[in-house]
Amino acid sequence: MGEVLELKPMKLFDTKDTTDLAVFVRTSDEELVTWNRQKIVDALVRETFLDKGTAELISEEVEKIILKSGITVLTAPLIRELVDAKLIEKGLEKARRMHTRLGMPLYDVEQLIVYPNKENANVPHGPEATNLTLAENIKKEYALLNVFSQDVSDAHMKGDIHLHDLGFIDRPYCSGQSLEYIKKFGLSLPNSLAIAKPAKHPEVLLAHMVKFAAALQSNFAGAIGWDAVNLFFAPYLEGLSKKDLKQLAQMLIFEFSQQAVARGGQAIFSDINLYWEVPKHFEDVPAIGPGGEYTGKTYGEYSKTAKEFVKALFEVYMEGDGCGRPFFFPKPLVHITEKFWNEEDSEEFLNLICDVACEKGNTYFVFDRGNTAKISECCRLSFKLEKSDFEDAKQPWKMRYSAIQNVTINLPRIAYEAKGDDIKLFSLLSERIELAVKAHIQKKMFLEKLLSQGEKGPLALLTMNKDGQPYLRMHRVSYLIGMVGLNELVQYHLGQEMHESEFAIKFGLKVIAHMKLLCDKFSKMHNMHFVLEQTPAESTAYRFARLDLKHFSEKAGRIVKGDITKGEIYYTNSTYLNVSHPINPIDRIRIEGLFHPLIEAGSLTHIWLGEKRPDTRAMANFVKKIFHLTENDQVAFSPEFTTCLDCKKTMRGLLESCSYCGSERIEGMTRITGYFTRISSWNKGKLGELRDRFRSKDYF
Amino acid sequence: MILFSAPACDKCTYIKKNFNLKELGIRVEELTEDNPEGLALLAWHGLVKRVEEGLPILVVEKEKLVIRGQENIVKYLERKKRDAN
Repeated sequence: MGEVLELKPMKLFDTKDTTDLAVFVRTSDEELVTWNRQKIVDALVRETFLDKGTAELISEEVEKIILKSGITVLTAPLIRELVDAKLIEKGLEKARRMHTRLGMPLYDVEQLIVYPNKENANVPHGPEATNLTLAENIKKEYALLNVFSQDVSDAHMKGDIHLHDLGFIDRPYCSGQSLEYIKKFGLSLPNSLAIAKPAKHPEVLLAHMVKFAAALQSNFAGAIGWDAVNLFFAPYLEGLSKKDLKQLAQMLIFEFSQQAVARGGQAIFSDINLYWEVPKHFEDVPAIGPGGEYTGKTYGEYSKTAKEFVKALFEVYMEGDGCGRPFFFPKPLVHITEKFWNEEDSEEFLNLICDVACEKGNTYFVFDRGNTAKISECCRLSFKLEKSDFEDAKQPWKMRYSAIQNVTINLPRIAYEAKGDDIKLFSLLSERIELAVKAHIQKKMFLEKLLSQGEKGPLALLTMNKDGQPYLRMHRVSYLIGMVGLNELVQYHLGQEMHESEFAIKFGLKVIAHMKLLCDKFSKMHNMHFVLEQTPAESTAYRFARLDLKHFSEKAGRIVKGDITKGEIYYTNSTYLNVSHPINPIDRIRIEGLFHPLIEAGSLTHIWLGEKRPDTRAMANFVKKIFHLTENDQVAFSPEFTTCLDCKKTMRGLLESCSYCGSERIEGMTRITGYFTRISSWNKGKLGELRDRFRSKDYF
Repeated sequence: MILFSAPACDKCTYIKKNFNLKELGIRVEELTEDNPEGLALLAWHGLVKRVEEGLPILVVEKEKLVIRGQENIVKYLERKKRDAN
């Protein structure tokens, strides 16, 4: 901001001799300079490509305004605003857009610094978080003005679509990778102050993994996922005692849970993919061990050690943290394949992971039926492995996948606009998807521009090349199209929610099938991989509901979920059934699972448990049923907890006070969309949904 | 009854050529890029992933049967034809 200095208007209209004006301006470079009209001319020519003559004219007119108006506060932003006003006056809108200044009002900055921002429940309030929010705000404006075309930006602003992570416009979305990369190449990152050779010891491998995850987190907007973690650690663990294995497991989980170094001071959003059995595609792959050397064995031969390690990990998850709370990260995704059921001791392992699910809620059950193999990250994003990936599996360090961007469609709004007309509804849906595709193409172009600068550019880590390919393999990325409020679309269009009839579910399936076929069509057309994803929609479900209540109030007022009077409103997430509907959990899983095969990039069903602790064996039988009798891709069971800030004890359920010491200084936590977090950080929409959630207390 | 088929599927073509499907009360759903209803129906029956293993697939809703593979479907339809006669 500029400093106030006295304006001494001598020789008012003598613009040739402005050095007589004792005017100073504080520039954005934090310099105090004398008034110089030429700066306006230079900026206009450089930034907007206006000709010099027009620029001179505008600068003279602005100078006259300043002198005539008696303005006593002169700052660089103010000068820019005055120039912009002149550009509008002369009909030079394009030049004005290019000349515009990004930023936030003083008042808003103060509010941000003082009060917490609840858009992301994972970001604690603090200086790093406010730095993040301030930077995000500028990058958001930049993205909407300069990366996306006006029609795409307007669609986002109106709420027809949601462009996720605009504040991270210069990054891809989520990623999945393999420990093999750092096992083979060590830790040698661009701009790093030190280079490490491949680890010789498991603790060092763990240290490399955590640091690499932190570095990756600063290059991706979303989650960092790791494939087959217990298997790839195994060559380093041979001969370790159970005690040492448990110690390493503890270190891994605590390291990822407590690293408050990611964007805005939050923990690294990390997922570890775990297997009981050795996946078929890794069985015969030569194993890399200490020092990055081949051990002479294949991964199939490390099955026993891999099993010991995954058991140790779950023992740590079972204990919880120092207060007995569930660990928020890393999220453990257990892949259950066809092979699992024939593996030795799989029953015992199933009981263990179900025990953890019942006690702490950590376990994500990922069902890889048939020949499907997936790497998962984020709350539900997954990459289905294709034939070429199975070739890459022979050199697992090559298995790196990413989603570049997520664009979510506001489904209920389409129903409001279609007014009951099927043809109009599907036509509008097609238009929105086409817009989403356009947004993806624009983001891709922008990212490629940054990547083209290579290892000297802003995305140096993503371009580093140790194996013949850049780290970010653009030929294997996905472009996500998500959805919010299918239930409300069906409800408005047919007059029934999806749980109310088979006809309603079938119509919902038709909507998603339509979206999927369009994704396939656009993928062929543009040679880009567009896929559907169930948007986690932590804030999007709330945002869309708010905007629709504003712009379609009569219609949305009858449809939005939650409590309108409190502003705790939301749309049902993605393709879920109404969260409040009291349905048997196996039916919820079965019905929601019908949509999963159409949503290639990942789906998840939540079963909310409330305070009740289910029976482990009942849960294990339930998981078996899910695998064999449904098409559901992934399930998470979510209990609720309260921790006392005074006596540090943790209790089940969301309580008003501590049942041990009576203190009212308590903190509730449960799963928000796909991760555990404190309820105090949730936005209003999610709080509304929390109140409505049907808890399957009596079914296990 | 529903026969899930695809235009480039030879086995599907064989069945469509050799049986009067309409007479047998069988509706054909061609799984093409402009038939979301067909794909939705496939999803309703939990068969989206099965298609990767091959077409055609016959769904006999009344008997809660799913019959896969040309040979099996032909056997079933021949029996149906005999029963009808």
